[in-house]
Parts: sequence; structure tokens; C-alpha cells
Amino acid sequence: MKTNKKLRLQITTPQKPVLDKEVDFVVLPAYEGELGVLPGHKPYVATLNFGELRYTVDGKEEVFALMGGLAEIAKDEVSVFAEDIALAREVDEETAKQKVEQAKASLSAKGADIDMELAEIELKKAILMLKVKNNKRKK
Amino acid sequence: MESLRDIRQEIKSTKATQQIMLTMKMISSARIRKAQQMMLDGRPFAHKMAEMIDSLRKDIQAPDSELRKNSAYRFFDNTDTAKNSVMLILITADKGLCGSFNANVLRETLKWLRANEEKEKYIFIIGKKGRDFLKRLKIPRLHIIGELIGIFPKASYAHATMIKDAILQAGTKYNISTVHLIYNDFKSMASQKLVSKDFLPFDFDEIEGDKDLSDITFEPSMLAVFLVLIPRYLGATLYSVLLESQAAELAARMNAMESASKNAGEIVDNLSVKLNKVRQATITNELTEIVSGANALN
Repeated sequence: MKTNKKLRLQITTPQKPVLDKEVDFVVLPAYEGELGVLPGHKPYVATLNFGELRYTVDGKEEVFALMGGLAEIAKDEVSVFAEDIALAREVDEETAKQKVEQAKASLSAKGADIDMELAEIELKKAILMLKVKNNKRKK
Repeated sequence: MESLRDIRQEIKSTKATQQIMLTMKMISSARIRKAQQMMLDGRPFAHKMAEMIDSLRKDIQAPDSELRKNSAYRFFDNTDTAKNSVMLILITADKGLCGSFNANVLRETLKWLRANEEKEKYIFIIGKKGRDFLKRLKIPRLHIIGELIGIFPKASYAHATMIKDAILQAGTKYNISTVHLIYNDFKSMASQKLVSKDFLPFDFDEIEGDKDLSDITFEPSMLAVFLVLIPRYLGATLYSVLLESQAAELAARMNAMESASKNAGEIVDNLSVKLNKVRQATITNELTEIVSGANALN
């Protein structure tokens, strides 16, 4: 199935726009499982989980670690609103590992001053980063 | 008459102060570019969120909408303003030396406090100046629910999230009807605009855009999307407000410091004139004494 039609993928975080690109295929980590989007997809709004966002352009794949958010699909435009996002190949494995350790430590510390929710999110983020990085290397 | 040494000392210290002012001005102008860039970068997200909220407008406002039954609906319900608790988000600077920046905001705050005299008032403060001001006030029924100090000039989305969480929590706990917002808006390098407006409940007329999402599929459901959307929209809006205030503060400081160092320059000029006059007078005096002394000997 080869079409000349492309999707316009826009990724925005609260801090700044991250990406605005013509792509062939996008996979989103939607709430009920991965959601693949090709050109001509019906209008759709989905909540996103922590997970991998992948897109393909001219046979090349790029992977992002996405920390939850929303996606809107309309008229061959995919707008992703992410809480935070990191390009997989820019993730530094060592830093990610350290972050996992740190987050685990602060979770087990269970001090009254520590915001458990925040620590949990940090841990989730760090683990995700690591996972995305490792998946990428296997390919 | 002041002595020469006193005047020289004064000139010296004025010049030193002027140097500090110039430095502060330069620091502000270096930071403001970054602050402006952050403001621009944050805009697309906030705008998109607003657009999506707007596209759900029909569903939110429909009388039999399922969204209406959810607790999040209270952010849109502006019919019930009779409640006895109100909230204020106050954004000032941490430091002074920025003209009327803080004074304007605090004056407006006083006005707000007076207008809501009879109600329970809950305040979230951003900036040290605002905190110090409110701590000094002795006003009944005034509760401080949270404060963020020292976040400028490095305000981030995480800060906005903290504020958002705090006001949502307090909103439920204290049954608050409106959330008011007072801050300085960055209009241009030369001017800041004081903004005092109701932040919640939402005012649909303020949100632009007329997209129609009526035949869209929602995953997992419209309500779930709505619940994800609301906190993000609030966060993004608060974030942009923080950045506005941050940029406005830097601009205000830049202008204040510029005029202050200009004034310092004038003082130095005046003092130099005075110094010369005094020195001349002393010399004339001494000459007269010498001459009259010599005459007396003859």
C-alpha cells in the first residue's frame, strides 16, 4: 500500500513546539493500545499513555519517548500534545539509568517531604526512556 | 559649606551606584530575549488546548451533556457565584528595583481584598514581594494556600503544574466559586499592562477558534478526553501567564534601571559643578587671606 499522500505530524509540548514534519506513518501510544495512523484516517481524539511514539518517513523510522498527553487527528494532520517528550536517539543511557536509581531511591525513602506522586512519575519517565533506548538498539 | 572631601566622596558613591544600575539593566536586557522566546514557544500549545476546549463548547454547554454531571464541569459553571469563598492567584516579582511593577499589582490586590471583604479569601502567591506584602496585612478571612518564591527568571512548566494542582485541590476542598488572577502582562519592552481578571470559571468568549469536532471519535471517551484536556489547558494558561509576568518584570527593571542611571548621571554632574565652585571659593578665600596678610605687613 503505497500512497503519495503524507501526514503532517506536529508535536507540541507546553515549553515549545518540538516537531512539524511530513511523514508517512505514525504510531501513537493511545490509551487502549497502540494506534497506527495513515493518511486518510478518520477524525479522532485520543488520550495518550506513557509510551513510544514512532513515525516513518521514506522508510526511515524515528522513535520518541512520550510522557502522556493528547492527540488530535484531523484532515491528515496529527497534532500531538505531550507533557514531555524525548527523541530516543538523544536519550543518554547512563543518565537515564541514574534517574531510574534516583527515582527508586526517593520512592523507597518515603519521607514526609517527598511528593510520592511526583517521584512515581519521574520513575515512570526514566524507565520509559531506558526502554525506548534499548528497543532502538535492538533493531 | 560642605568640605571638598565630602563632595568627592558623594560623587564616588553615586558613580558606584550608577555602575550597579547599569549592570542590572544589562542583565535584564540579556535575559529578556530568552524570556520572550519562551513566551513565543509556549504559545502554540496553549492555543491548541484552547481550540480543543472551544470545539467541545457545544457538548459542554448542552443542558443534558454527560460532561455537565462531572465534577470538572464546575470550571465552566458561572451561574453559581453566590458561594462564599473566592480565590486569588497573585503574581509579583521576587525583587524590587523594577519601577511600579510590584506596586501596581499590590494596589490591585488591595482593591480585590476590599471587594471581597465579607468572603473567605484563599490566595496563592507567586513572588516574594507579594508574600511579604500579604504577611504584613492583618485582614480577617484571609488564607494563604500556597506560595512559590524564587522561580523567576527560571519559571518552568513544572511551576505552572504546581500552581494548577494547588488551586484544583483547594477549589474542591473549600468550595470556591471564582478564581481571580492578578499579574503584569508583557505588552512591549516599554510598557506592562496590569491584568486583573477571573481565571475560573472559563469564559468561552475569550477562547478563540471555531473548529467543529462534532463527528470525531474519542478514545476512550469524550469525558476522558475532557478530563485530560482541562488540567493541561489550565497548566498551559498558567504557564503563559508566568512567562508574561517574567518578561514584564525584566522589561520593567530594564526601564527603571535605565532612568535611574540617567538620574545618577545628573546627580554626578551637579555635584561636579558644586565641587568646582567650592574649590574655587576656597582658593579665592586663601588668596584674599594671603594678599590681605601681605598688605598688613606693609
